[in-house]
Amino acid sequence: MNPQTSGTVYRADKQRFNACKIPVMHILIVEDDEVARDSLAKALREAGHSVDVANNGLDGLQMASSMGVDLAIVDRMLPKLDGLALVQSLRATGRKIPVLILSALGDVDDRITGLRAGGDDYLTKPYHMSELLARIDALARRGEGNTAETNTKLKLADLELDRMTRRVTRNGKKIELTAREFQLLEFMMRHSGQVVTRTMLLEGVWDYHFDPQTNVIDVHISRLRQAIDKDFDKPLLHTVRGAGYSLREDE
Amino acid sequence: MGPDQRFLGVLATSPFRIAIVYSIVFACGAAALLGAVDFAVSRVVDGSTDNLIEAEVQGLREQMVVLSRSDFIELIEQRSQDQDVRGAVYLMVDPQLRPVAGNVPAWPKEANQDKWFYFKVSVPYGDETREHEMRARPFHLPGGYRMLVGHDVQERQDVKSLMMRGLIAAVVVTLLMGLGGGFWMGRRILAQAGAISAVATQIMRGDLSQRLPVRDADDEINKLAREINTMLDKIEQLTLGMRTVLDSAAHDLRTPLNRLQATAEGAMPGLAPGSPERRVLERVTSEVDHMRSTLDALLRIALAETGTVAREPVDLSELVASVVELYEPASEERGIALHSSVAPGATVQGSRQLLAQALANLLDNAIKFTPDGGHIRVVLRGSASEPEVIVEDDGPGIPADKREIVLGRRVRLDEARKFPGSGLGLSLVAAVTKLHGAHLVLDDAGPGLKVSLKF
Repeated sequence: MNPQTSGTVYRADKQRFNACKIPVMHILIVEDDEVARDSLAKALREAGHSVDVANNGLDGLQMASSMGVDLAIVDRMLPKLDGLALVQSLRATGRKIPVLILSALGDVDDRITGLRAGGDDYLTKPYHMSELLARIDALARRGEGNTAETNTKLKLADLELDRMTRRVTRNGKKIELTAREFQLLEFMMRHSGQVVTRTMLLEGVWDYHFDPQTNVIDVHISRLRQAIDKDFDKPLLHTVRGAGYSLREDE
Repeated sequence: MGPDQRFLGVLATSPFRIAIVYSIVFACGAAALLGAVDFAVSRVVDGSTDNLIEAEVQGLREQMVVLSRSDFIELIEQRSQDQDVRGAVYLMVDPQLRPVAGNVPAWPKEANQDKWFYFKVSVPYGDETREHEMRARPFHLPGGYRMLVGHDVQERQDVKSLMMRGLIAAVVVTLLMGLGGGFWMGRRILAQAGAISAVATQIMRGDLSQRLPVRDADDEINKLAREINTMLDKIEQLTLGMRTVLDSAAHDLRTPLNRLQATAEGAMPGLAPGSPERRVLERVTSEVDHMRSTLDALLRIALAETGTVAREPVDLSELVASVVELYEPASEERGIALHSSVAPGATVQGSRQLLAQALANLLDNAIKFTPDGGHIRVVLRGSASEPEVIVEDDGPGIPADKREIVLGRRVRLDEARKFPGSGLGLSLVAAVTKLHGAHLVLDDAGPGLKVSLKF
């Protein structure tokens, strides 16, 4: 295996983290664990973002409120000011930037507590970097284009989905989907051009917050792929190795 | 609870029942007491009346010997008029029972032999007359004449009936007051018990911050409530402590795992895919994944077992249908037919996420152990509030003597070692079932395993 690009980053990894064009953001990381903070900062910088770091809650709150931060990644347990308190204070001042909460706690109800405090997404440690990148990408693009909740007609290349009539067509040809396949496609279309992980699908489509031991999601995706890609030249539903899936128009 | 039910509820309370028993006992006591008084009074009064009459009869008998009949008749007439002997009655009749002398108009038919008897006489009271009861004794005079001497006992009868009426009134009032008091006490207890059971329900749902209502009284219910509250304080402290321990254990395990994952992932982009170094790192991340899923399962089991999970109404019918739907493509891929029959409208109080994971674990297991082309059956049946979920497969099943132990932590039967998994799947199912107050039964599906969750 040969290096394919300059530097030490290989194309396959570049593709995994950077499968699509991620909007460049100014991201604040509030994390007291040095190893986690540094590798997170490094990965985000490699993905093209500019990164600021804080190692305690008070500094984090100050930086998040004053600077031109686009998105914040906040650990739950922080010195000086707890992660949840940070998010609550931030929301109390009216700052609406997307916040991803990282947690090393038990889970089940902690997730709900985190979202109630004002977090937009919640990720339990240890996480895969690809999972985190996919999630901040989804957070960053919330409200734009296809992702807008109010949009009833979603479109990607020749694939169209109408939420009102529950009709899906590709190249004008009607595609029959089950209710769940429709939901799955709708979720994928809302996140078109992004990497969507299996857990994001399980959370977004089924509202389940656990990892099934078997590859249940993969089988659902391959059914959906059968339905939308089988009879057409250009595949739209791609597998992103080691990360998840992506619905996009290329290759 | 409707008003009727509440009323019936009061009737079933222990204070009300105790009040009924005591009212009856007191009423019987009052009746017995008054009966005894009446008996004693009757004996004294009757005895003195009888003595009086006996003496009169004796006196007349003596007079009869010395006096001629006409003088005797005159004597009787005289006695009859005598104002001093109030209430005394005399009557002398001839052999045909026609009155000869005295102040009683006719020979009473009650007077047959020479025995004490009662009869009634009309006594003038101003313009009207009133029936008075007399106690009298008849006796024979020479020549077939008969005579009776009696005494007005109406006054005693009046007193007696007054006493009887008083007695009945006392019994009725005692009963009514007893019932009323019992009802009032019952309502009080019921209100307090209702408040206590409402709070207890909330506590059972996982809200350990709730406390039983305590009134400012020192009765046994309030004492009990206070003691239970002290116990709840302790349980809350213990649970909170347990939760803190769990959280810090989770934190202390997840943080280094996260570092390991981040370090391995961070180093990977610099290594050529397929290189030995890279393979080592890939191995590391996959082991981290495995440790994470085991840790998640253990933490969830611990959370379920300590009961520190928020509970809310969960639409079990929807959940079962959706988990079945999630696993349907995966089972179809293995050629396994997944049949389901889900009764609508079943709701339970609990954690949707934990219930979903428990069901998912059961289906994971069923798919894992069912041979290709086999069958899995998922059934939700029973009433809306007490549903039963059954997952049945036709895999190898679990031998009867091992069904108990597989529910313990980390038990994997030898036959199962060739399948992937942490061995915590059924333990989590057991912990989640227990948290929801349900019964978990493993049974033979002949062949295969039948798992039943009875809520």
